[in-house]
Amino acid sequence: MKAPDQAATLAADAALFEFADYDAGEGERGGYSNYSYWKSTTKMFLAKKTSLFFLVLLGALLFFTFVQPFVPGQRSPTTIFQDPATGMQFRNVTPGAQFWFGTNSIGQDLWSRIWSGTRTSLLIGLTVGLAEMLIGIAFGAVWGYVRRLDRVMTEIYNVLDNIPTTVLLMLLAYIMRPSFKTMVFAMCAVGWLGLARFVRNQIVIIRDREYNLASRCLGTPARRIVLRNILPYLVSVIMLQTALSIPGTIGWEVFLTYIGLGLPVQIPSLGNLVNEGRMIMMSPELRYQLIFPTVITSLITISFYVLGNSFSDASDPRNHV
Amino acid sequence: MSAVAAEEILLELRDLSIDFKLKGGETLRAVKGASFAIKKGETFGLVGESGSGKTTIGRAIVRINEASGGEILWKGRRITGRIDRELDLEVVRKIQMIFQDPMASLNERAKVDYIVAEGLYNVRRDLGEAERQALVEKALLEVGLLPEFASRFPHEFSGGQRQRIGIARALIMEPELVVCDEPISALDVSIRAQVLNLLSTLQRDKGLTYLFIAHDLSVVRFITDRIAVICKGDIVELAETEELFARPLHAYTRSLLSAIPVPDPRVERARVPIAYDPSLHDYSRQGPIWREVFPGHYVLANEAEAAGFGREFG
Amino acid sequence: MGNETNILEVRDLVIRFSLRGRNLTAIRGASLSLAEGETLAIVGESGSGKSVLVKSFIGMLDQNGRVDAGSILFEGAELAGRKTEEDWLPIRGRKISMVFQDPMTSLNPLLKVGRQIEEVLELHRGLSGKAASLAAVEMLDRVGIIDPQRRAGQYPHEFSGGMRQRVVIAMAVACQPRILICDEPTTALDVTIQAQILGLIKALQRDFAFTTIYITHDLGVVANVADRVAVMYAGKIVETGTAEEVFYDPRHPYTWALLSSLPQLGVKGHPLYSISGTPPNLFREIKGDAFAPRNPKALKIDFEREPPMFEVSPTHRAATWLLDPRAPRLQPPEAIRALRAKYLEAEA
Repeated sequence: MKAPDQAATLAADAALFEFADYDAGEGERGGYSNYSYWKSTTKMFLAKKTSLFFLVLLGALLFFTFVQPFVPGQRSPTTIFQDPATGMQFRNVTPGAQFWFGTNSIGQDLWSRIWSGTRTSLLIGLTVGLAEMLIGIAFGAVWGYVRRLDRVMTEIYNVLDNIPTTVLLMLLAYIMRPSFKTMVFAMCAVGWLGLARFVRNQIVIIRDREYNLASRCLGTPARRIVLRNILPYLVSVIMLQTALSIPGTIGWEVFLTYIGLGLPVQIPSLGNLVNEGRMIMMSPELRYQLIFPTVITSLITISFYVLGNSFSDASDPRNHV
Repeated sequence: MSAVAAEEILLELRDLSIDFKLKGGETLRAVKGASFAIKKGETFGLVGESGSGKTTIGRAIVRINEASGGEILWKGRRITGRIDRELDLEVVRKIQMIFQDPMASLNERAKVDYIVAEGLYNVRRDLGEAERQALVEKALLEVGLLPEFASRFPHEFSGGQRQRIGIARALIMEPELVVCDEPISALDVSIRAQVLNLLSTLQRDKGLTYLFIAHDLSVVRFITDRIAVICKGDIVELAETEELFARPLHAYTRSLLSAIPVPDPRVERARVPIAYDPSLHDYSRQGPIWREVFPGHYVLANEAEAAGFGREFG
Repeated sequence: MGNETNILEVRDLVIRFSLRGRNLTAIRGASLSLAEGETLAIVGESGSGKSVLVKSFIGMLDQNGRVDAGSILFEGAELAGRKTEEDWLPIRGRKISMVFQDPMTSLNPLLKVGRQIEEVLELHRGLSGKAASLAAVEMLDRVGIIDPQRRAGQYPHEFSGGMRQRVVIAMAVACQPRILICDEPTTALDVTIQAQILGLIKALQRDFAFTTIYITHDLGVVANVADRVAVMYAGKIVETGTAEEVFYDPRHPYTWALLSSLPQLGVKGHPLYSISGTPPNLFREIKGDAFAPRNPKALKIDFEREPPMFEVSPTHRAATWLLDPRAPRLQPPEAIRALRAKYLEAEA
């Protein structure tokens, strides 16, 4: 039994000792690695429980904020409600079945006011965030990439940076009459500096790397080098800065309202609501008027901060395992 | 290695100097009065250690660095300083560069087809999408890569493959002169041969001229026709390759030659490296000038040293 | 070989890393022996695993790496199972020291150079104060730094590349280790400095009587320093032998490819022998000989079964089916035959 097996094995082995066919292409395919930057970033971002939680929370908040007016049975945020029976305004009604968040001192429905206010503040935050991003990137890119302008632009930056933000904001809000556009303009004027500086520093670090020299050697104009070679590296950082600026903007809005330079009272905003609530916070039964807007503001702020930081960590390639 | 066609001079450096401004206001003279000419079809080697200025010269030729003195001539026309748009475009088309580090010389966030076609977007705006893609495919095949690689990102490839992408990127422009800045130093040993073979094949097929910048004399010996040796900004010697190895004149060249490790245990263990001591030159009475000591063999030396060389090899 | 006088004995070592949820087998069963007092050079390219291998000797694998199988016997003691920092303290820096490629990242830029050497002495030799600083200055002198007293008070950035590497060597050797591992110690240095550093390490090896392991891809360095050579490819040792055996009579196709692709051995005007393709993906299980896909002269069995180590001589072994009696006789490439001919001629 053994001999034929052995012979068979030997014979089979002998056949194996012949030269194999050689496929040069096969060798080329050897080193393929399937790492994807964005896939890894997403994976790392979603892996943390806190990120997921806040992502869901913020998502729900945002969704509801913009959907709320279309939900049946909602009231207008500015209408003053009167009790049909007595003809008196529903002032300072505590939260209950009729008015879910209660009413304020002149009889307006707090529930709809809060959502309307959140919409306004978010709109300001997002608009300002977007504008800051565009202005900041444009300024920072030119500053960082065009060597000849570096001196001049650094001086401009230094001058602007030294003006206290608070003073400038107050000045602008005071000069132009309070309105939605004023708020947006004032905050844009102040907020883009930080991002510009950051973009500029990153560009200075990257601009002399070999792949950028190669692009210059190939005749690529500066505009396209910045757009395709440099900015893609800065995406994660820029998104972080923008994510952090939104709660910052809302914070400034609250502050300006506090010192009387915010939006006109007719337009509900988180700043106005917090301010109104602050004025009557001494009476314990009326505190709800302060608590509700404050809680919403805090939730939004915390969510953006947490998500912004998580994203920044996740998008750093050094953290990708 | 290549037939030098009718001694046409493609590129000439005349007394080129390049300064860099340091922090604190000081100037560093990285290249001092360099002069040499590169003939069409040849492979010209520029050899020196780190900080010698060889990369600086290479980058000045492709107009990445600015010249502070002297000039560079391309087919007789000055290409240093401000030049008109038309000449600039010609330089971009005709002179290209291959960089040292394959890990840093490709845009990680762009696909291979954009990387290879980038130059075409700049100089061949007449091309349509399909024609451009066809050229990219052809370029990839010429360097031994598969066309399917065009839709991938650089990080998916090995160092040798990335370097070949860089070569495809330069060659798609159809240049006449290619400045190769240490193209194989950052590669693995077995990949170096691949890339060297590729470079010589491409030279033969396309009639290219190379300026090969390197620090490894043994590699340079294999592929160059003439070699210039550069030491701390000064070009100290220039000769045909075998002539340089047979009759090295300048003390720095001799020291460099004695320092090359040889992959042969018997020879290597017997090798004694000579250190270069700049103070051994006595330039108190007469400074060195660039002179032709033997036909085609130039050295930076003074009268006394030149006479010494004559006696040694005469 | 299981020789009792071997200072280091590695058997069938397997090291894996968990990367992005998958396992990368960086070392796939490597075996190595190191005799006391000799100089061994481990040659390989990036991805071969040579750095990972030696890092496992001093417990410096990355967090996501682990020794899955095999043993590392150092002077009879098992190193493979050690996990915590405490386990490694008596070995790392004390009995087995390492010099890395880039001296700038090995040195603390904020501490004076003398202080850094003193720290090593305090930790491992229990010296302190005056005794430590004197010993530190003496070490600097030993590694050829001129005016060591003054230099000991300087910071790393005040030294040139070659000088920094000397300082790193001083730190590594200060505790008189039994084994010194040098991972590409001269790759970042100019050729003229290279010879000096190699000479320095040789001199120190004589004076302090330690054993040296060099990790390198530069065959010129190997030819200069090595008594024995081990060639690594894709996580395995594919050939070992004395320097003469590996250079003048190599048997593994990868060693052939490596040697014959050197420009120094090339003939001008003729293409160099080159290996096409790239090293294999170590995430996947490799069937047969890892080098087969890139070997134009591969046998069918190279794709089926992994070759065992065949013995060419008591000191020379190679893991290739070409050494099996049933295999066809293959001549090594021209460049290697030429090298061998020159050697035999000189010996005659």
